[in-house]
Amino acid sequence: MMKKGRRVVAFAMMSTIAVGTMTGCGDSKSSAGGKMVVTGEDGVVEDGRYTLDENVPAWQLDTKESSTLSWYVNADWWNTEWGNDVVTKKIKEDMKLNVEFSVGDDTKLNTFFASGDMPDIITVFDANSSIAQKADTWAYSLQDLADNYDPYFYKVAAEDTLNWFKLSDDKTYGYANYSNTIADYENGDIEASSAFVIRDDVYEAIGKPEMKTKEQFIAALKDIKAKYPELVPFGFNNFETDGTSSLGDILQDYIGVPLADNDNSFYDRNLDEDYLSWVKTLNEAYRDGLINDDSFTDDNTAWQEKLSIGKYGCVMMAGVPQQSGFLTQFTNDTGHKYIAIDGPASTVGNEPKLNQAGLSGWMVTYISKTCKDPAKAIQLYTYLLSDEGQILTTYGVEGETYTINSDGLYELTDEAKELQLKDNDRFKKEMRLAEFIPFGHDKYRKLGVDAFPESIVQIQEWGRGKLYHHYILENVDPDAGTAEARANAAIKTNWSSTLVSLIRAKDDAAFDSTLKAYKQFLDENSWNDIVKVKTEKMKRNAEKISE
Amino acid sequence: MREFRKQIPLQLMIIPGVIFMLIFCYYPIYGLTIAFKNYTVIDTIDTARWVGLENFRIIATDKYFWQSVVNTLGISLLKLLIGFTTPIVLAIMIYELKDGPFKRITQTISYLPHFLSWIILGGMVVNWLSTNGMINTILVNSGILAKPKNFLLDPGKYWMIAVLSDTWKEAGWGTILYLATMAGIDPTYYEAAKIDGAGKLKQIVSITLPMLSTIISLNFILTISSLLKSNLDQTLVLMNSQNLSKAEVIDSYVYRMGLTQGDFSYATAVGLGVSVVSVILLLLANQVTKRLNDGSVL
Repeated sequence: MMKKGRRVVAFAMMSTIAVGTMTGCGDSKSSAGGKMVVTGEDGVVEDGRYTLDENVPAWQLDTKESSTLSWYVNADWWNTEWGNDVVTKKIKEDMKLNVEFSVGDDTKLNTFFASGDMPDIITVFDANSSIAQKADTWAYSLQDLADNYDPYFYKVAAEDTLNWFKLSDDKTYGYANYSNTIADYENGDIEASSAFVIRDDVYEAIGKPEMKTKEQFIAALKDIKAKYPELVPFGFNNFETDGTSSLGDILQDYIGVPLADNDNSFYDRNLDEDYLSWVKTLNEAYRDGLINDDSFTDDNTAWQEKLSIGKYGCVMMAGVPQQSGFLTQFTNDTGHKYIAIDGPASTVGNEPKLNQAGLSGWMVTYISKTCKDPAKAIQLYTYLLSDEGQILTTYGVEGETYTINSDGLYELTDEAKELQLKDNDRFKKEMRLAEFIPFGHDKYRKLGVDAFPESIVQIQEWGRGKLYHHYILENVDPDAGTAEARANAAIKTNWSSTLVSLIRAKDDAAFDSTLKAYKQFLDENSWNDIVKVKTEKMKRNAEKISE
Repeated sequence: MREFRKQIPLQLMIIPGVIFMLIFCYYPIYGLTIAFKNYTVIDTIDTARWVGLENFRIIATDKYFWQSVVNTLGISLLKLLIGFTTPIVLAIMIYELKDGPFKRITQTISYLPHFLSWIILGGMVVNWLSTNGMINTILVNSGILAKPKNFLLDPGKYWMIAVLSDTWKEAGWGTILYLATMAGIDPTYYEAAKIDGAGKLKQIVSITLPMLSTIISLNFILTISSLLKSNLDQTLVLMNSQNLSKAEVIDSYVYRMGLTQGDFSYATAVGLGVSVVSVILLLLANQVTKRLNDGSVL
């Protein structure tokens, strides 16, 4: 009996090893080089499929009757239909292209890499991940594809974005959606998403005071408390476990704390004197009962619920567009609304430097080296990035889903509007407007009528001219898996609880000792090494953009 | 052996089961090797670079990890004290109730919280503990507290909050096993005891508890072996930046390191370490109960 038992165990172990070695076979990646054919001097692509013309998008020249590409999106919520809605049907017809979508998570992505059997196009969500960092091993560079198949690509792609995603070989492999360039910031193509807002009825009742200096700020909050005892005078976004709500970098941006030292080296914004003096003011407000303890424990749902019933007198608000639904509800229920005013201002005369999504964008799309038809893939990039493609994905087809009104603005047809209101699921399924977003960009939204809900229009107007690009600070955290990354994570968590402790400090002595403990914590957790890494990355960021 | 030959058709039937186990239970064990490697998403398990015991060295010197171990053990031991005994007491109380609607309603109500997820219950607990929540209202109106306070911001109270809310959620469900065992106790024992003049309490101590001892020790062993397991859902809902120092448990730490930071090798190394310690705890607990009970339950 015993012997048999042992034999079974041995068998089990053998099979485990066998299975292990068998999977080893899957590794053989199909030969690098893949399917890309270098186009010669004459510009004739793939034995006369078409001839390159830098002034015409290649998809208009391509004579190939039909192509099929597989496209993987690393998110479960992605709609995998193709050709059954207004947007993708038009793309399918124009491009003579079939797309087979698949979706999944990191595990599935890992399986692709392990087996070498990759989809033609891959969309991931983290521009800083190791997938993106090592893209040169598994994806075609966009420059190579554009040079050989579709030079028109350079006319529609944003140069800043291409530069931003360059790897050490000076080539770009992925293209990000919602990647805001410095020009987008400077031209006002995008709207600010954070603001200091106050309920208009409350503001009226306390006599529309200024709230820029500390004294004014505290006095106004006290007035709110006196006149509206049922309200929480000052609120802010919910605190995530190691986040800083809207009182960390959002407040720093609001009072215009410098992003970097003059030579683009790291500047510790958390310990900026100007900022800390405002944290101290918040502490004063807390001690006067003007900030409620629940604001530190509320989750996202609780905070949004309180926002929608107007529980806060005034709010330091981040992610304004995401809150628009709750702000609208508040207005619908009470007739009042939150308005943006000039809130906390720098004590040393800095101008606000509000942030928005940066160059890194959101979804990043790659063309893998095993792509069956790389020419068609880069043509698709060009198509979707062109104005034509952007209008199509945002508003659909003229006459069918939108019309252009006398002001030159895009307006949905009555039919489309009605469907959107009455049956949003069907609207998303059949029209798919503003849903097909792997190459989307916010600036096209502004071309529409009612682009943003009424409840946030005034807030956005207030923010114009106050945006400032933060590219210098993008992706400057130490790489995952390094000792610095772990120390940095510990510091981040510690700063989050330090900030709350500072605001909730019992007295000045407690405030000072908490701050001292944080500084000591920095010293104990190799802060100097982290600063070195950050400075290095910041200088690289500066170089990328000045190129 | 002849016996075995005769049974070959029957023996063959276990093959699908064995294959299933090999593929889904044993083959993944191979993946544990990434604890000794520097693994990223685009590596395969085979191509990742070997780093030996580097990950374990980092763990040994990582005081946040040890802080989370202390919290996990603290909360688990408190749970052992309160959360383990409550269902036994509750089960005996329910058992002693007369059959009828009151008993049924009591049982149903005590099961109820078990079926709600921590996401929902956690929201309720956060709400109850907030400054204008149920608990503060009761305490302030009864004069125990002068001013309402948010209990979740007090790290010193977190362990108790975690343990009591978990006990409230699971105690009713935990009674089922005990009630089932008690239903099997021969009623003649109780009748004999009554004739001998034993009161209710005496009956419980001398009949009910001894009859339950096997199932109690089985449960005890299972609980001991999961001392290092912690309730991730509960922690993620109730933890905030103020109580973090007392609320961070191993699971939430691994979750934050592995998923939010993409440090898979490190997270796997922690998971492997925890599993090894858990097996040791399980064997220890088995030894202890063997001594106490003259018989192993494993």
